[in-house]
Amino acid sequence: MSLLTTEAVLALAPDAASAKAAQGLLSPSGWPSLGASDAAVWGECQGSGAKPYQTQVDLAGPAFRCSCPSRKFPCKHGLALLLMRARQPASFGASEPPAWVAEWLGTRAEKAQKQEQKAVERAAAPPAEASSEAAEKREDQRWQRITAAAQDLQRWLADQIARGLGALDDEALANWQTQARRLVDAQAPGLGQRVLAAAAGVRRGVDWPEQTLQRLGLLQLACEGLARREQLPAPLQADLRTVAGWPLDRADVLEQGERVLDRWTVLGAISEERDDKLTERRVWLQGERSGRRAWLLDHAFGGRGFEQAWLVGTSVETALAFFPGAAALRAIAAEPLSATGPTRWPETTTETEWQAVAQRFAANPWTSLHPMVLADAVPMRQRDNVAVVTAGRALPMDLPDAEAWTLLAIAGGRPLRLMGEWDGRAFAPLSACGPDGAITWLRRSA
Amino acid sequence: MSSPWTALLPAATVGTDRHAAPLPTWPGDIGEAIQQAAAAAPDPATALLRTVAVLAGCGLAGAQGSAAPAELPAPAANETLPAPGPGLVFDALRQALADGPARLQHEACLILAQAGLRLPELLLPQALELGRRSVALRAPLLPALGQRGLWLAAQREDWAYAAGATNNDDADAQWAEGTLDQRRAWLARTRAADPGAGRERLQAALPELPARERAELAGALVTGLSLADEPLLETLRTDRSKEARQAALQLLLRLPDAAHPRRATERLAPLLTLERGLLLRKRWQVEAPAAAGSDWKADQVDAARPKHESLGERAWWLYQLVRQVPLAWWSAHTGMTAAELLSWAAGTDWTEALVRGWADVLFAAPDNAWCDALLDRWPPTLREDPARVLGLLPHTARDRHLMAYARNGSQPLATVLTHALNACPPGQALSAELSTLLVRTLHEKARNGALNTDYGLRGLLADFACVAHTGSFGALADIPRRADETPTCAEALALVERTVAARRTLHTLIPPRTP
Repeated sequence: MSLLTTEAVLALAPDAASAKAAQGLLSPSGWPSLGASDAAVWGECQGSGAKPYQTQVDLAGPAFRCSCPSRKFPCKHGLALLLMRARQPASFGASEPPAWVAEWLGTRAEKAQKQEQKAVERAAAPPAEASSEAAEKREDQRWQRITAAAQDLQRWLADQIARGLGALDDEALANWQTQARRLVDAQAPGLGQRVLAAAAGVRRGVDWPEQTLQRLGLLQLACEGLARREQLPAPLQADLRTVAGWPLDRADVLEQGERVLDRWTVLGAISEERDDKLTERRVWLQGERSGRRAWLLDHAFGGRGFEQAWLVGTSVETALAFFPGAAALRAIAAEPLSATGPTRWPETTTETEWQAVAQRFAANPWTSLHPMVLADAVPMRQRDNVAVVTAGRALPMDLPDAEAWTLLAIAGGRPLRLMGEWDGRAFAPLSACGPDGAITWLRRSA
Repeated sequence: MSSPWTALLPAATVGTDRHAAPLPTWPGDIGEAIQQAAAAAPDPATALLRTVAVLAGCGLAGAQGSAAPAELPAPAANETLPAPGPGLVFDALRQALADGPARLQHEACLILAQAGLRLPELLLPQALELGRRSVALRAPLLPALGQRGLWLAAQREDWAYAAGATNNDDADAQWAEGTLDQRRAWLARTRAADPGAGRERLQAALPELPARERAELAGALVTGLSLADEPLLETLRTDRSKEARQAALQLLLRLPDAAHPRRATERLAPLLTLERGLLLRKRWQVEAPAAAGSDWKADQVDAARPKHESLGERAWWLYQLVRQVPLAWWSAHTGMTAAELLSWAAGTDWTEALVRGWADVLFAAPDNAWCDALLDRWPPTLREDPARVLGLLPHTARDRHLMAYARNGSQPLATVLTHALNACPPGQALSAELSTLLVRTLHEKARNGALNTDYGLRGLLADFACVAHTGSFGALADIPRRADETPTCAEALALVERTVAARRTLHTLIPPRTP
């Protein structure tokens, strides 16, 4: 378990408060029992109640479970348990898991097995004729609605340009909100969101006319694509479906998506709180054998957290099922993860990375985030901001202040190996890797 | 700078309805693609939108930030000290910086320096931020920052306190370009090795130093002080700045053979007379000056009694004379010990003037016997905190007093702890004996449930955990817990445990200290 470093565990915390609270629970005296096996770590933590909380972590993953009432996930107890495991392995008795641990591990294994079985069955069984017909009909109807909405949107876009962006006052922008709602009503919420985002960008920053034009341009592109959807290659059709805000079912992806079995290096991960208590988590992977990059996107409501955690800097053997699409980046784990091992940081050059980014943007210009692994990146201060300099180019960095200073401290003005997200304007670093391949810095969730 | 978008902005802003000019063209493949897309458009607005669509996609695909500056800022210099890698020490440092207490942070920095280590890079921003807020932490923090920390500090204005000189080894740079803290540290080091060299550097720099720095740096002369420093102190004694004059006068009290303190004793001696009392016993009498001397001003004797002063005018004059006379003179002149002098003073008409004068001298030039005498029988007229006097004593002598407080139960544990803490500067520890005694008392209190109710005591626990002797770590980490403990009590004890665990880890870096 040498891979379980303090840094990696703290990076799993849903927020800074949880990380701090976990560090306050590291005294073994607060844990009447502590145990560990190869597969799991468990312990009972004395909380404020009479009965201690039962905390357990399945190390394949890792996945957390705790009997405490906290809505945070993983909770401070789970984090503290892993931190203690990383720092003071001697405090853990090597033993057979007690009933409450064995039971949970058993259910998890069973669930995974069932899921796999179901997938196999679904793949084997021919789709029921009648239901598939009905489904197809429903699907056709929705496509019709979306196509009609896109036509309407295109007229609306042309209207805006005919009148000019200079005429946009609050009243005109209210009309943009109405347009967005109409798109949602027409079952194309993705387009609606883009209209809202464009409206939010109006009169923001000195270059807002260019930014707004760019946003409208991408909408125009989507409308044109949707108008002649049926003549387009299947992957691009799938991308248009995503842009319209009609995601594929997980089950469909598992069933139909391209499967890649590989040892996946976890390059970076970040959880961000969106509005309405929605947490979005992005995990970036690279296959050691295939060289494929993959993007796992998950959402959780009300701080419920994610069952599966991904430790940056480790590798996981699993099959990913990729969403269909021209850039084929997004995926989901199709199999339960098996034992993690030490990572191999990908070897790459900045030129290769730019090439890959350009190809992915060209294949699907609506994808906003692209993974980049920079081999010789120097973080530096540039006026009041921070930038990363790589291969003769300076990319503005999108990073909270405290994190930016830490990254500057780690680098000391020298090149680092950095992984992060590029959106065409700014680079948001997620992890840094030292010359020996060890992770030296991880972006923390705010 | 013009972007590919600039040419489109007029039409997009005014609107294609009113801006009838033809669309601009772009070169190359992209230009061709735009032309094709726009040509088939049903109306000018759509043509513009299609142009924008092509530009948006191509712009995203081709974006690569901006050109890097021709020259990157200089990287941090190579480190001369190693930093602890990931592990227990690293985690202990992280915890100390994140949670404190301040004393633990102080000790952590000292231990790092003593072990020839520096802070890990990952913790530098937090450490620099702590130093920004706590001036007291800066002195121990600076040597622990390493080259990386100094480099980082130079990039942010509010960390400038650490950025004056970027090279620890380059002594001259520290003196010439360092911050006040760095210069004071440099001067103290130089004085320890070669007092004359330090004095000359300070003397040469004096004319250009601001008042506060003259005073602060003069204070550093205390290291290696000798009569050779007298001429410089004589200059400083007449400095424009009151603080600088004070600093010089205080240092002169440590040089009884210097001219200024000699004149001071000559001024005072006639006021003390040996008179025959009852039963032929001789007894010292003291009289306050009847008038201010004409030579006082030249020797910084302040004849003007402030308003609201509790002393009368003559008493004030006596006080002013007493505070310029080294304490050793009193015993030599009268044959009385410090304790005898204190009880003698209590029987005179001028008790407050004498005692206050002595205390002032004691703080300027500490003397163990006088500290002991004061602490054993604190004069009611002296409105000073005894903890300040305790702080002047070396460990063993100080602990004798604290042990007595703790043992005879004359003071509540919280008061004894407060005294012990006040008298223990950051980075220092209590003696093994005192620690053991205090922890034992603390265990009793914990068993009795006093920690649930004694708010004051609870608040001192974490700081006490920072100054307890290493030998008490075991007992301190094992304070008896009660089933009915309150959450705040549990929190306080958890912090004690964490602090002890961190100190235990940090102390593995250095050989055990012999008390």
